[in-house]
Amino acid sequence: MATHSTVLLLEKLQQQTERHIQKAIREWQNLSPEVFEQSENTASWNAAQCIEHLNIYGRYYIPAIERAIDRAIYRNSRPSPSFRSSWLGSYFTKLMLPEENGIPKKKMKTPAHARPVASLDTRKVIAEFIDQQEKLMQLMERASKINLNGARVPISIAKFIRLKLGDVFMFIVAHNYRHILQAERALAAAAKDRSTIKSANIPAPGFLHALAQSH
Amino acid sequence: MKIDLEKGLLNLHQISSAIHPLNGPEWDAFSSVWQTLECKRKTVLTTVGETERYLYFVIDGIQRVYYTDEKEREATLVFMYPPSFAGVLNSFLLQKPSPYFFETLTPSVLLKTSFNQLNALMDQYPAIEKLIRKGLSQVINGLLERQVELQCFSAEEKFRALLKRSPQVLQLISHKYLANYLGIDPTYFSKLMSSVRI
Repeated sequence: MATHSTVLLLEKLQQQTERHIQKAIREWQNLSPEVFEQSENTASWNAAQCIEHLNIYGRYYIPAIERAIDRAIYRNSRPSPSFRSSWLGSYFTKLMLPEENGIPKKKMKTPAHARPVASLDTRKVIAEFIDQQEKLMQLMERASKINLNGARVPISIAKFIRLKLGDVFMFIVAHNYRHILQAERALAAAAKDRSTIKSANIPAPGFLHALAQSH
Repeated sequence: MKIDLEKGLLNLHQISSAIHPLNGPEWDAFSSVWQTLECKRKTVLTTVGETERYLYFVIDGIQRVYYTDEKEREATLVFMYPPSFAGVLNSFLLQKPSPYFFETLTPSVLLKTSFNQLNALMDQYPAIEKLIRKGLSQVINGLLERQVELQCFSAEEKFRALLKRSPQVLQLISHKYLANYLGIDPTYFSKLMSSVRI
């Protein structure tokens, strides 16, 4: 399985998360809420729903990661120079990651608990997203003081599966990226006949793609 | 990083010259006590209860000083942007435990110097003491002006005043912190975003 320099991995994950936060602060929170509430068709999510979908997972994973870090600190865990992805961990990251062109390889069925309702308060959704991503940044910083191979987090769909913290960070960032791009596509479609939304492209997380190809 | 230090000292020279110009030897002494510090978003630089040992000067990024308590109330007291001095000033000047947090709101590059170093310089050079005194006078001026806004202005007036003064903050700072700084409800801030045209 792929082995990463822990310092470099956390650095890259934080950089990518920084880009996600900047997208929300520079652009999303300044757009009119209506463009977030239009869907292209009844089958696809509007932008607010894409972001809310990430918030739903964040509500589970952020406290779960925090507990894992607290436990590791309590047990005197020390950072290890390298992190070794587990087979299942890299499988999840690959599954989440869209293709290099930004489009997911295949559609996935969303578990019932993670399906966002249709009518959302856009401003609240964006504010919660920013809050969560800031918290995630801080958790990645705290995680640099512990061993990412040792700390484990139960995954949301099957609590008996406990993934290494490093793998959890990777698939969360890949999942965030996937749905941020989906939100951007929804916004672009909604803005077609409105004033154009100027949107800065988030560079693809090359390090995650490299990882995905290494298996 | 060397480049940051040079750029930072250049900004520092500009700002301090505008407050109170220093002559060659004074500037040499004043500029020799700073070192650079680079931090990510949401890095806590000063914690409640800790005595502020440093005075900062912002080269890049935005920071805030805020109060919070066990009832989860929060008050954003000041935002700091480049090029300006930063830190928990009361704790720094009085060398008493800080009642506030000081944190970065965006990735930041700062210069910092310690209380002991600055104090020694102020003892040795009257011009440096004067620079600090004049700088603090402007800080007090700003704080009192803001106090008037907080007590007299309506939410909409505060919103308009902030955007007139610093329109760029909407793209740089999470609106939650802006609403908190103005002392208005975040939901109401959203309403103002939709209704108020600047």
